[in-house]
Amino acid sequence: MNHRNTAAFFRVEGIVLGRGVLAASAYIAGNAKKFGERALRLGLVALAAPVHSLLGQTDRALAHRIVHLAFRGMTEDRVTILAEEYAEDILRSKILDQGVELMKRARDEGRRVVLLSDGVSSIMEPFARHLKHHDELVCNHLEFRDGEATGKLIDPIIGGASGGKWLRQYAAEHDLDLAHCTAYGSHGPDMLLLSAVGRPCAVNPDFVLRRSARDADWPIIEYHD
Amino acid sequence: MHSALSIHQSFAGRHILLTGASGFLGKVWLAMVLHRVPTVGKIFVLLRPKALRPARDRFERMVATSPAFKPLHELHGADMGEFIAQRVEVVEGDVSLPGFGISDPELAARLHRELDLIVNCAGLVDFDPDLREAMSTNVDGAIHAAEFTRRCTRARLLHVSTCYVTGLRNGTIPEALDPDFSPCGDAFDVEAEYAEVKAVSEQILAAHDSPDAEAAALAETRELMRAKGQDEGNAMMLRNILRRVKRQRLKDDFVAEGQRRATRWGWHNIYTYSKAMAEALIARALPAERWSMFRPAIVESALEYPFPGWNQGFNTCTPLIYLLGGWFRHMPARIGNPFDVIPVDFVCRGLVVSGAELLLGQHAPVYQCGSSDRNLLTIDRAIELTALAHRKHLRERGGTALERVLLSRWDAVTTDLDHLFSVPNIRSAAEGLRDWLRETKFPKFMRKGADEWADKTDDALDTVETIDKMVDLYQPFVHDNAYIFISQALFVRAVVEPEFRCDPKTIDWRRYWVDTHVPGLRKWCFPLFENKTPPSYAPRHPFSLPRASEESVSFHSDAHIDRAVPHADLGRPQLAAQHAEVL
Repeated sequence: MNHRNTAAFFRVEGIVLGRGVLAASAYIAGNAKKFGERALRLGLVALAAPVHSLLGQTDRALAHRIVHLAFRGMTEDRVTILAEEYAEDILRSKILDQGVELMKRARDEGRRVVLLSDGVSSIMEPFARHLKHHDELVCNHLEFRDGEATGKLIDPIIGGASGGKWLRQYAAEHDLDLAHCTAYGSHGPDMLLLSAVGRPCAVNPDFVLRRSARDADWPIIEYHD
Repeated sequence: MHSALSIHQSFAGRHILLTGASGFLGKVWLAMVLHRVPTVGKIFVLLRPKALRPARDRFERMVATSPAFKPLHELHGADMGEFIAQRVEVVEGDVSLPGFGISDPELAARLHRELDLIVNCAGLVDFDPDLREAMSTNVDGAIHAAEFTRRCTRARLLHVSTCYVTGLRNGTIPEALDPDFSPCGDAFDVEAEYAEVKAVSEQILAAHDSPDAEAAALAETRELMRAKGQDEGNAMMLRNILRRVKRQRLKDDFVAEGQRRATRWGWHNIYTYSKAMAEALIARALPAERWSMFRPAIVESALEYPFPGWNQGFNTCTPLIYLLGGWFRHMPARIGNPFDVIPVDFVCRGLVVSGAELLLGQHAPVYQCGSSDRNLLTIDRAIELTALAHRKHLRERGGTALERVLLSRWDAVTTDLDHLFSVPNIRSAAEGLRDWLRETKFPKFMRKGADEWADKTDDALDTVETIDKMVDLYQPFVHDNAYIFISQALFVRAVVEPEFRCDPKTIDWRRYWVDTHVPGLRKWCFPLFENKTPPSYAPRHPFSLPRASEESVSFHSDAHIDRAVPHADLGRPQLAAQHAEVL
């Protein structure tokens, strides 16, 4: 079967990678320039954590916006270097082999493999260099002005409730037949993404997604160590 | 609209004399021209003999061991000797001597006849050296270069100076030269100043020969020996220490005099003062069509040529970066001040471009080669990038757990001069602690421990003193003054050969600083601070010049004799030249 105009969309967090946005934000905030600043920024991330978890069940866009406020005023140099360090030292060891295997399989089937990440490009781009078997990475972008982070994410925010809308737009731009596309999601907000494709699949789903996947009779993959 | 500049065509068949070839800039320039300008004529390399080693041997050793020539070695392999012999002729001489100290009149005449360009890279780059050394290399060297150029049939002089000759000023610094300029605004006559320095130097020398000075030196020597518990009755030891003390006292007086003069006219230090004098003297000695000043800003590690990160010796910001790699973290600097760093290969490309324009007679009087007006790097950004580069290294290769875990996160920060943890505050706190430990009446069993801690505090105070001096030295550049050096002349004409384009807009400071510059310093320069040897380089094919090509000429025979009488005559301070480093 020719899959030239089909793609496989992978949510990175939970499927390819065993770490999420909160941990990344905490790492960067905790390595700010001054000691007091580190405590303050880490505190912000800590305060944002429960909000992130609560909102994360439905719409992660607002949750991501809140978490990344902790970067406000950090220099682009620092964020970039720390993000590279985090990607190299931490994330590399958190790659989920089963997820990589899924990507490989999709690639072997001739699908365009698109990674969707809630993480910011400063982290995800260096991280993605360690991943083979993908064609494109779509992730969030921090806004920088005059060399400093404003704490804002640039729209559209990946991981939000507009995932389905974004996907249809992407499919139109790349001449994709969504009915033959595959999507792998792991969290509640991925439902709209999965609903938009012909071959959805839940991987290690959280409670919300698991229930929906069962209702919709979507295949569920569970990783086992 | 200017036509594009072809480096290959401009240099075709042109003969060049290079001074300062053993320095950081000179070596990279020489290697780059030999490598990338195949059309160039002969390059005459002026080198001093040193420590009984003739210039030719020094040159041979330099090419054989300096990593700057690595790309050339890789390109020519076993034929490198032949290639160099065809392109380079070593001339034994000394910039601090009239006529460059070339003793063979035939060779001098041939050079006067054949040379098209003189590139004067020789210079002493210490900020506050002995005034005699600065005058000898930087000022007398420039005078002799101008005089040598004047004697040549058609040669022009490209003199390497520094952007900072403009002294303690703020704002935008144009590419211009006024020989009567002094940064403080007072009327300045460079020739009068030069004569005054000579006269004052004679007075200092005479004062040091006086019986009073002799007695003071002897008293200081005895005091030193007593402090160290040495036997004052040991005549030989006394004589040796006395000689050292006298030399140091003389040097201190010359440094103080140089600093006084530099400050009086508004320059930062003896280096910028002497380089400014050199520019003014050349401008007065030669007609405008025969010279160009090339002013690099802070020359640092190579971005690309000879290879990323190449650096040599103690360059301008090396001590600063070294300092910020330790526990010292509050660097006084003004946020937003430009820190005008430029990689050495960009400087060499600029030097080639300006040389090409000078050869064509289409030159500007001054070429400033900096980054501040085209791709600004601020001091606070440089300090943060330094901290991040150290962090990267320490996390990966820190020697101890303390370095890997704590020091790597001990980021340097930009602070005000009066910050709570400023060096003077740390010093006074340490002095207070030491005095308290010494003066408090502790119980007997604690006395020994208190003395030990007082001694340790004393050692720490020595380190604080060194840091304080260094911070003072950099203060005019990173805190007190903010300059933007206009660098336009180098970019008026497009350059045909892409390998000679030197626009700093292409530099990604983050990648350069973290991945290239600081690792380069760590590899090539930091070992020198730690009394270690930087990695040695040996080409795959051992290099030597073919014996038949020996063309170097002997040095002034009397010059060797003069070297044995240091500082006898300020006009010929050969010992000073022995210590001279080159830019």
